[in-house]
Amino acid sequence: METKFERNTLNKRLKSMLSVDFRRMFTMPLLYIMVGICLVIPILILVMTSMMEGSVSVNPQTGAETVMKGFENTWQIIGTISGAESSDAQMGMDMMSMCNINLLYFFIAALVCLFVSEDFRSGYAKNLFTVRAIKTDYVISKTLVGFVGGALMIIAFFVGSMLGGAISGLSFDTGVAGASGVIMCLISKVLLVLVFVPIYLLVSVAAKQKTWLSIVGSLAVSMLLFTMIPMIAPLNSTAMNVFLCLAGGALFSIGLGSVSDIVLKNTSLV
Amino acid sequence: MNAIEIKGLTKNFGPKQALSGLNMTVPEGAIYGFIGENGSGKSTTEKIICGLIHPSGGEVKLFGRDYTDADVRAKVGVLIEAPGCFPNYSVWNNLMLQAANLSIPNAKEEVVKVLKMVRMEGAASNKYKNCSLGMKQRIGIAMALLGKPTLLVLDEPINGLDADGMRIMREILVDVTKNYGCTVVVSSHILGELEKIATHYGIVRGGKMLKEMTAEELNASCRTYVALQTKDMNRTKSLLSCKYSRVEEDEAGYIRVYDAKDPEEIVTHLYENGILVSEIKIDKIGLEEYYIDLMKEGR
Repeated sequence: METKFERNTLNKRLKSMLSVDFRRMFTMPLLYIMVGICLVIPILILVMTSMMEGSVSVNPQTGAETVMKGFENTWQIIGTISGAESSDAQMGMDMMSMCNINLLYFFIAALVCLFVSEDFRSGYAKNLFTVRAIKTDYVISKTLVGFVGGALMIIAFFVGSMLGGAISGLSFDTGVAGASGVIMCLISKVLLVLVFVPIYLLVSVAAKQKTWLSIVGSLAVSMLLFTMIPMIAPLNSTAMNVFLCLAGGALFSIGLGSVSDIVLKNTSLV
Repeated sequence: MNAIEIKGLTKNFGPKQALSGLNMTVPEGAIYGFIGENGSGKSTTEKIICGLIHPSGGEVKLFGRDYTDADVRAKVGVLIEAPGCFPNYSVWNNLMLQAANLSIPNAKEEVVKVLKMVRMEGAASNKYKNCSLGMKQRIGIAMALLGKPTLLVLDEPINGLDADGMRIMREILVDVTKNYGCTVVVSSHILGELEKIATHYGIVRGGKMLKEMTAEELNASCRTYVALQTKDMNRTKSLLSCKYSRVEEDEAGYIRVYDAKDPEEIVTHLYENGILVSEIKIDKIGLEEYYIDLMKEGR
């Protein structure tokens, strides 16, 4: 007599995979540490740069004096204005333009890489992939969970920026960007996570239990896209920026997700 | 219907050939003892069955379907090398996670049930990393049993278990085959334990199946011998060696005379030569000795 096997639909498989990954993500101390760091960093940056503003540093060789500039506006830590409205200070690659929300895409790399490599390092991948012949569920689930984790970090950074701005007494004037621009910028930044997570996921499934390799690889690849972030998601974002980020996210998720799927199908999982 | 049917399985790791045309047939409902030396290809075969590594060639079928069939694979329980658990999670959380992975509807009751089966209900709240090796093996078994698997693949499951743990493991494996109709593939170097439960055997060497047989066939092919002790063991041995083709001294200090049809004949022969037998018994060689003999023959 032939043994009967229950049909596992995509819906059922994906539901169970998502429940595993969300359960893991939200019981993982790393997520809360990362979110905590994202909350504290903007407060520290805004408060410390405000305290140091106006201080003079002297180059001992040339004797040239440099006056430290702080943030003039809270929104500067969220993004920069694109196009002709931007000032020199905003466009320059000074410390302030580097220490902003865009840094988070590197932190998200650490979160995703540690999350994925833990599956392989603990050996849980054996349980997971024995009962999952189709790897697509894993890729979709990890992308979605990575996106949620990344989005939470961006929201935490935004909240931290508000707190930091309030503590350091910086202006909340949205200026030419307008309130809608700031909101669109934030949505764009969140959607941009969908561009980066598939990259980190691909590197992680290729590196498997080698966490260091997945983190270094992810940082190296994301470095190439880092300069694109201020252009595609400026402070004065519009619906077009949101759409572009969404399209980019979908394209990267599907494209690189398929590559991750192929990697998982064709490589040893232990 | 066979639970597992493997034909001409090959696997290369770079220039090294781990499996070279392995054939394997595991009938449904069997407890299949998978035996072989270290590096003979047992774990590689098991990993291929579970879809964790890809074969270089050959055919693997599970319940008549390709081994990549998602519906069949959803009913495979596995314990290969070490249990795949998150070290910072409690035993309970690890099992609940696997229950979620398997979409078990009444997860809590199912987890309680498997914990009871492996006698680990008291350790559910322990962190996995704080569990002893034996406890970890039991957790691994509990994890593999979740969702009532149709096929269980266990690689060295009794490693690190104490005598009681081994007994429990035996009971579980017999229970799941009888009550769930589950097929079990179990590899182990502890052949004495395997012999107590296995219904079928597969002996593998150098990436090839050397022999496959049922427990009855093994029993029939295991030779009987007469084991005896005397006061002068050396003289006894030399005397018997002249008359019988195979006479050996075993680790327990007995002289074994293989293929001797009548123990009385041995006693009489020794008595005529002035040797008194202090102890004599008829016994059969076990799986372990059969395996060692088979390995020696092949060399």
